Amino acid sequence: MRLLLAEDEKELSRALTAILEHSKYAVDTVYDGLAAVESAHSNAYDAMIFDIMMPKLDGVEALRRIRARGDYTPVLLLTAKAEIDDRITGLDAGADDYLTKPFSMGELLARIRSMTRRAGAYSPKKLKVGSVMLDTEEQELSRENSIRLAGKETKLMEYLMMNEGKELSTSDIFGHVWGDGDNTDEKIVWMYVSFLRGKLRSINADITISGDQGGSYVLSVLTEENAV
Amino acid sequence: MAMESIYGGYGDILEEIKNDIQNRIALYTKEEYEKTGIKIYEHLIARVKSEESMREKCRRKNAPETPHTALKIMRDSIGIRIVCSFIDDIYANIRYIKQFHDCTVVEEKDYVRHSKPNGYRSYHMILEMESEHTDISGNTPGRFFIEIQLRTIAMDSWASLEHKLKYKKNIEDQELIVAELKRCADEMASCDISMQTIRDMINSSDS
Repeated sequence: MRLLLAEDEKELSRALTAILEHSKYAVDTVYDGLAAVESAHSNAYDAMIFDIMMPKLDGVEALRRIRARGDYTPVLLLTAKAEIDDRITGLDAGADDYLTKPFSMGELLARIRSMTRRAGAYSPKKLKVGSVMLDTEEQELSRENSIRLAGKETKLMEYLMMNEGKELSTSDIFGHVWGDGDNTDEKIVWMYVSFLRGKLRSINADITISGDQGGSYVLSVLTEENAV
Repeated sequence: MAMESIYGGYGDILEEIKNDIQNRIALYTKEEYEKTGIKIYEHLIARVKSEESMREKCRRKNAPETPHTALKIMRDSIGIRIVCSFIDDIYANIRYIKQFHDCTVVEEKDYVRHSKPNGYRSYHMILEMESEHTDISGNTPGRFFIEIQLRTIAMDSWASLEHKLKYKKNIEDQELIVAELKRCADEMASCDISMQTIRDMINSSDS
């Protein structure tokens, strides 16, 4: 699982990163709110941890901008003890949890596990990218007309749509859609991407999945210039 | 006295044209099969619309029951349905049919890529064929219409079930059945695309 850590106190950031990596998380570290927004826009994370007091853009504002783009990645805020108002505005801005400093590492790890376990429970049932709609409950993909998807195709489409414009590696996708414990060959990702491409064409979709076998994939909206 | 045929004296000519087109398509499949081992269609049905249903259609459309209506206003006196295993085969057949020098495509509807709201999928085309026979309007060469429908096996079995629904009145839970039938159409279309994708993968890996 991949985490984004935005914490401007270098020493704390270093310590957190070490412990998180020790717990088998891949960690991207940034030191201000603006960099956090940028990283969240270009990468897919399983959870994000933001300090509230940060230069350039505070953690709450960064979170607000990320949510405004339709990104539902779980976010945990780190707040100082005195910042009660911050906790309220933070939760209202779309945070899933918070932790007051100083905190125990054990508790942080438990909260990350808890958040990522529940990830998906709050994801929308209906997604829209470009003018393509995905109804995850009905497993229906539609635009001009509609088509039904298989279970794993729906999960893959959902993951791609939730991460529009971000590069997702074959193993990222495999881990999210099939699960790390699945014994299926990772080559199945390419096969399912191919299935979805055919199904997107069949509804005259204005979105496309680019990428080659075994590499990374990006879902993006077709524009006049890159129309196929 | 027996009632005059709705096709006037053209019944035999329609049979002849139907057989001609049917044979051309069958020949194409035979050639392709010998070359590649792939059957470009699974089966083909060709018919001249029965007296009875042509008359019924004229009445339904409020048109006079005359040979002129049957041959010039209605364009499905000759009907050919080509049922294929895979979606791409539909388009291979279409490309082939479009090469007929004596035929012009006068209408084309791609309900495979643009399905009807109820989920119906098929490719429809109407050909106008030039024939040495004088037609009912006095043209020599004469002009005759042929309706061609192309679909996959899955689309075909769906359409036959949907057809039953259309001609049966007072079905219980009509709305529910229509919605579920639409879901089936979308699931079958999904399988058709997956099958085509897998076939493409197999083909590209042995080249």
